[in-house]
Amino acid sequence: MNLAIPTPRAPAQPPRPRVSGRAALIAGLLLLTLIGGAASVYRLFTGLGPTTALSDEVPWGIWIGFDFALIAFSGAAFTMAGLVYILQRESYRPAMRPAILFGLLGYIAVLVLLLLDLGRWDRFWSFFINWNVHSPLFEISWCIVLYSTVLMIEFSPQLFERLGKERPVRWVYRIVIPLVIAAVTLSSLHQSTLGTLYLNMPYRLHPLWYSPILSLLFFLSSIVAGLAVTLLIYPLACQIRGKPVAEGIPAGLARGAAWMLLLYALLRLGDMALAAELPALFALDRFSLLMWLELGLALAAMAIFFSRERERRGWQRVGALLALAHVLLNRFSATLFAQVAPEGASYFPHALEWLSTLGVLAAVALAWYLGVRMLSIFDSHSHAKFHH
Amino acid sequence: MSNAMLIDLTRCIGCRGCQAACKQWHDLPAESTRNLGSYQNPPKTSGKTWTLISFDEITVDGQLDWVFAKRQCMHCQHPACASACTVGALHKTADGPVAYDAAKCIGCRYCQYACPYDIPAYEWDQTLGLIGKCDFCVDRQAAGLEPACVKACPTEALVFGKRSDLLAEARRRLARTPHNYVQHIYGEHEAGGASMLYLSSVPFASLGFPTLAAEPATAYTELIMRQTPGIALGVAAGASAVYWIIRRRQMMQEQAAAPATVTTAESAEEVQS
Ligand code: SF4
Ligand code: SF4
Ligand code: SF4
Repeated sequence: MNLAIPTPRAPAQPPRPRVSGRAALIAGLLLLTLIGGAASVYRLFTGLGPTTALSDEVPWGIWIGFDFALIAFSGAAFTMAGLVYILQRESYRPAMRPAILFGLLGYIAVLVLLLLDLGRWDRFWSFFINWNVHSPLFEISWCIVLYSTVLMIEFSPQLFERLGKERPVRWVYRIVIPLVIAAVTLSSLHQSTLGTLYLNMPYRLHPLWYSPILSLLFFLSSIVAGLAVTLLIYPLACQIRGKPVAEGIPAGLARGAAWMLLLYALLRLGDMALAAELPALFALDRFSLLMWLELGLALAAMAIFFSRERERRGWQRVGALLALAHVLLNRFSATLFAQVAPEGASYFPHALEWLSTLGVLAAVALAWYLGVRMLSIFDSHSHAKFHH
Repeated sequence: MSNAMLIDLTRCIGCRGCQAACKQWHDLPAESTRNLGSYQNPPKTSGKTWTLISFDEITVDGQLDWVFAKRQCMHCQHPACASACTVGALHKTADGPVAYDAAKCIGCRYCQYACPYDIPAYEWDQTLGLIGKCDFCVDRQAAGLEPACVKACPTEALVFGKRSDLLAEARRRLARTPHNYVQHIYGEHEAGGASMLYLSSVPFASLGFPTLAAEPATAYTELIMRQTPGIALGVAAGASAVYWIIRRRQMMQEQAAAPATVTTAESAEEVQS
């Protein structure tokens, strides 16, 4: 049988100066990955004491901060799959595969960072057999493992098409709807439970952040992050592959992010007002300034996404970066900056924490770039062939 | 009714016999520490020091009081550490102790965040570290013995017994010599109550005991976590419904327009299916 799957075009030959720039970038990412890998191995065989600045007062540091932010960023995968398959906005399909690739790599990185942080990483599997259904972290662990599996299946056509294997692709498309429903369900659960995680710390998390609707806020902000990530990486993937950006996709994503941010900001401010915490917002102490910074980033992103500038590539990028900075800062506030730590607490990340984290992030960027170059990243009409 | 301990700070002479007995019974290693200008040593409880006498100089109404207070896990009635633990390594036993099963622990340190008393401590100097905290001598209790610290205490500042009996005893003391005490049994209601009950001559806040509501710290979390199956089903059902409705609407639109517009392979297939 003749396979009608078009193999991806070889990337257009870019002009010479850009090749060397790109090569330098790849070499840099590779170097960071290797250094980070070595640092991580050293950490695993040395223990947390000598390799981190963590303590009984500050038991979680930048690994967990970046980890939780990366989970939100990787929400790009379920957001885009849900948009295309559940809401059936076919026009967004070209942006879906880059987002799913990013999500898969993101979750792999999440697992690596979690492993680095576990004191007993040698028995990370303990939660498979030892259950505690009250524990947010128990639910999150299960969801992440199950969702990573779902993501691998969702991703697999990008690889199989590239290899010219039609049968597994057809198999995936036969179950794609239940698969995406599972993806959306598992994501809704653990993205929101990452907020529930803080609800048993009423004495540790500052009242401006502590809220009974944290679960909802974390879920909504993961969609914001997912849209913003896609807004950044879809045009990038087009550029890498020398394809035109499908007009309307970035602006549409920006519009979606704007409404999500509005809902999110209203809920957050409304919740503060209801809890009579607005005075704390004007206390002008460390916490109120941090909250202003957080809110400022979100509101600035929202303003850009609501304005006419959302049609312009440059402003889209600025808006997406602001939105992602907000989500990153928010997750760091919850784990670190807005924690009222016990007396004597101080934390400045150890060099090894930085190196391993940078290594993991660089590996994600590198793997995504290579994936975009080599995989079937733009839909090859398999869905039209198999999905009915 | 489970077991508890009444800790009467007015009877403590600061001999630290309990602190030493605890180390001995549990075979806990010595700690490298330094002099902080106080008898309190080491400065705080840790994975190697599960109980510790704190020394505080407190002035109340111009009256200087040197207060010794035994610190350790409170063995909460609704332990937040156990509720939070990823793998259920911590749990409240029927006898009262909040016990720790080291064989399950993955060292995630979530329990450290959940505990409102900052008690669980991690073994930072170990390659594969675990959590350390007072276990209320769960092994001795199972053998019908009192905890090692209680046995060591020469002044009966520590009393072991049923929680209800000890609460009654505490109330008796507060009533008999009210001038000796602040009228507060710390641990009776704090964060849903604890197995460790304290009496003191000075306000507990002045000793650095956290001021906690009577509501267990786990209330919201457990309320939401209990909804997990419902949320999962709801999201899955909702997503399926949305998919089905939109799909149907699209198919009907396409059917209505079908004769004129069946041009692409995709829409032709959809009409057939
Ligand atoms: S004091 Fe802390 S460690 Fe002890 S039972 Fe209560 S929550 Fe757990
Ligand atoms: S560190 Fe161990 S005891 Fe504490 S929450 Fe994690 S698995 Fe449970
Ligand atoms: S053994 Fe008793 S008297 Fe001595 S320090 Fe401990 S509680 Fe106080």
